[in-house]
Amino acid sequence: MRWFLKIISLLAVLVSIVYLGHHSHSSQSTLQKIQKRGYLLWGSDAEGGAPYVFPDPHNPLKLIGFEQDIAGDIAKQLGVKAVQSQNAWDSLIPALERGDFDMAMNGIEITPQRSRKVLFSIPYYVYSEQLVVRKDNTDIKGMADLKGKRVGTLSGTVAAEMLYRMGGVNVKIYSGQVEPYQDLALGRLDAVLLDLPIAAYYAKPNPALKFAGPPVGEGLYAIAMRKGDAEFKQKIDSIIANLIRTGELKRIYQKWGIWNDNQKKLYDSAAQTGYVGLNESRSAPIAGFLPMLLKGAAITVAISASSMMLAIGLGLVLTLLRLYAAQPLSSLATAYVEVYRGTPLLIQLYILYYGLPNIGISLAPVMAAFLGLGMNYAAYESELYRAGISAVPQGQMEAALSLGMTRGLALRKVILPQAVRIALPGITNDFIALFKDSSLVSIIAMVELTKTYSILAASTLRFFQFGLITAFMYFVMSYPLSLLARRLERKLKGAK
Amino acid sequence: MISVRDLQKNFGDVQLFKGVSLEVEKGQAIVLIGPSGSGKSTFLRCINGLETFHGGEIIVEGTVLHPVGGNRPSRQDADEIRKVRRKTGMVFQHFNLFPHLTVLENIILAPVEVLGVKKEDAVRHARSLLERINLNGKEGSHPGQLSGGQQQRVAIARALAMKPEAMLFDEPTSALDPETVGEVLSVIRGLVEEGMTTLIATHEMGFAREVAHKVIVFDEGEIIESGPPEEIFTYPKKERTRNFLSRVLRL
Ligand SMILES: Nc1ncnc2c1ncn2[C@@H]1O[C@H](COP(=O)(O)OP(=O)(O)OP(=O)(O)O)[C@@H](O)[C@H]1O
Ligand SMILES: [Mg+2]
Repeated sequence: MRWFLKIISLLAVLVSIVYLGHHSHSSQSTLQKIQKRGYLLWGSDAEGGAPYVFPDPHNPLKLIGFEQDIAGDIAKQLGVKAVQSQNAWDSLIPALERGDFDMAMNGIEITPQRSRKVLFSIPYYVYSEQLVVRKDNTDIKGMADLKGKRVGTLSGTVAAEMLYRMGGVNVKIYSGQVEPYQDLALGRLDAVLLDLPIAAYYAKPNPALKFAGPPVGEGLYAIAMRKGDAEFKQKIDSIIANLIRTGELKRIYQKWGIWNDNQKKLYDSAAQTGYVGLNESRSAPIAGFLPMLLKGAAITVAISASSMMLAIGLGLVLTLLRLYAAQPLSSLATAYVEVYRGTPLLIQLYILYYGLPNIGISLAPVMAAFLGLGMNYAAYESELYRAGISAVPQGQMEAALSLGMTRGLALRKVILPQAVRIALPGITNDFIALFKDSSLVSIIAMVELTKTYSILAASTLRFFQFGLITAFMYFVMSYPLSLLARRLERKLKGAK
Repeated sequence: MISVRDLQKNFGDVQLFKGVSLEVEKGQAIVLIGPSGSGKSTFLRCINGLETFHGGEIIVEGTVLHPVGGNRPSRQDADEIRKVRRKTGMVFQHFNLFPHLTVLENIILAPVEVLGVKKEDAVRHARSLLERINLNGKEGSHPGQLSGGQQQRVAIARALAMKPEAMLFDEPTSALDPETVGEVLSVIRGLVEEGMTTLIATHEMGFAREVAHKVIVFDEGEIIESGPPEEIFTYPKKERTRNFLSRVLRL
């Protein structure tokens, strides 16, 4: 009971550190850093990201979208290349604050709350909200008809705020921009209110849906930068002003079909080029997306294998501490195992990646994924070893000791080799589980197989085909391991 | 060469040994008999340092084991215990061979790792031991592939590989099929004839009578009688000895 209280208070301290802590940035300016490394790192979410930023259906390893174009232009003016950093949309601002990238550009609306946290550039797009309903719907013609209706939108957006402020609307909050339109088509929603570029890409090509009334509300998208990056902001502002003046922005917006008269508030000149629409994404051959999925699979394998190594090593250390170390150490090791087994892996990953920066420790996504999975599974491996060791008969240790061996030597040469043999099928099964759990690291900006799947599926709406292909890829990789585990189990039974 | 003086040993609140003493001369073969639960195994395990004890002392060739009760032995005590273990080889009822190692690896593990013997020398010695227990050709087998009698002979060879000055046997034939008992007993008999100091706990009365220089009768944690086998088996002085013998010999 007392150790339980200790753990609780430890957790409380941890949580308060995570939430109250503030952090600082290195003295080098962002502009200098960009020049030195040779590329501009910009944060955005390519999952369900069309037409902002999403994988090119013709070459899915490449990202396209109007923001991808803008980022490319900005980088060109800075004399460097643009590199996208993949992040969940909700976590763009925290990730910017922790210094994961130089700037965030992803349909981020200027709001008073956000202005308190970040520095906004001058706006690069005037967005408005578009109401979408089913084709057969006749009673919703505008915002005024929404009372008592089920209306879908995205979490944390201005559209959501508008709906809440109207009152009397049954607001359904989504985290992806594809799902609300799907639910609308299926009759689970009566209407969807989202930013016009989203509606233009996802809803317009859908024959089951139609726009209801003209766009409403008006707001500004701007690039978010860290407070204190004033010099960088000035540079970005002058670049955007330049893009507006030269008509480059208009060219981009027309190419993506999101140009409207509202944008005149930003500039006037005009030009016309090609544009990738949803129907094109939908019909591109599946084979073209395979390289991207294979790349995701390779990252999944690499992350799983390396964190399993960590789990196996750390698990052994934990077991030895628990079984043979003196008091404070052995209890600490036991507490480690209990805490890691008793809390969700997802929370552990969040704390590692988003929490630690608050106390000054900033881990790269790969590092956080490796440590997060490895440290979690170490707890499970430790349990397996402990079971393995206690399954070795007492007489083995006695025989080794009676031959003059020290405990350590007996452990190394006699007990552990037998314990490992006993634990091996379980370890193999855990590896399979870890392999599948590795999909969780997609929440910390790792683009592995599952994340690749959701990015592709959301930009092409082919959830089913890509889902089957991705599931098949996981299966092909994990099935041999299952066979191995079963063989090891049989061998162990045979040896007894 | 081994002296046990006033040995006291508790299991929890139960006192098993209330002061047991025994002197063993070099080359002597001592057989421990007595009813089940009388303390024979515990006595041998104390000498090998596998059990701690609460009073008295045990001296093996000048190395002294002190009582530490239920506590973990200090580093110095642990060193003494290891020294004693190197001088005494122990053979268990259930062999306790290392199942993941071959016969040869079982035998050379401790000489190489504990004594630092060169591997070639350890292997050569192991082969000569295998010849002596009549198991040459089995060095590559795993314990699981051997009969009980063969396993127990390997266990004896494993203990002998450390060149001990005394051997302790705790019911070495109790877990064996009757037809393999003989081969193990004949190996032990050979050791006794060569002059190895031996302590054997056993229920094999015929064997005890044949090889023992001295028979010790345990009952309820006490040595109730001791003497040459012909005396113990033909004219036991104590009523309890007579009862015990009549029970086991009738079986
Ligand atoms: N680890 C232990 N914990 C508690 N009691 C024990 C322990 N080991 C032995 N004893 C007790 O000590 C007494 C002596 O046991 P011991 O095994 O030495 O007898 P033994 O003479 O070898 O018997 P057997 O002929 O059955 O092998 C028994 O009463 C036993 O229950
Ligand atoms: Mg016994």
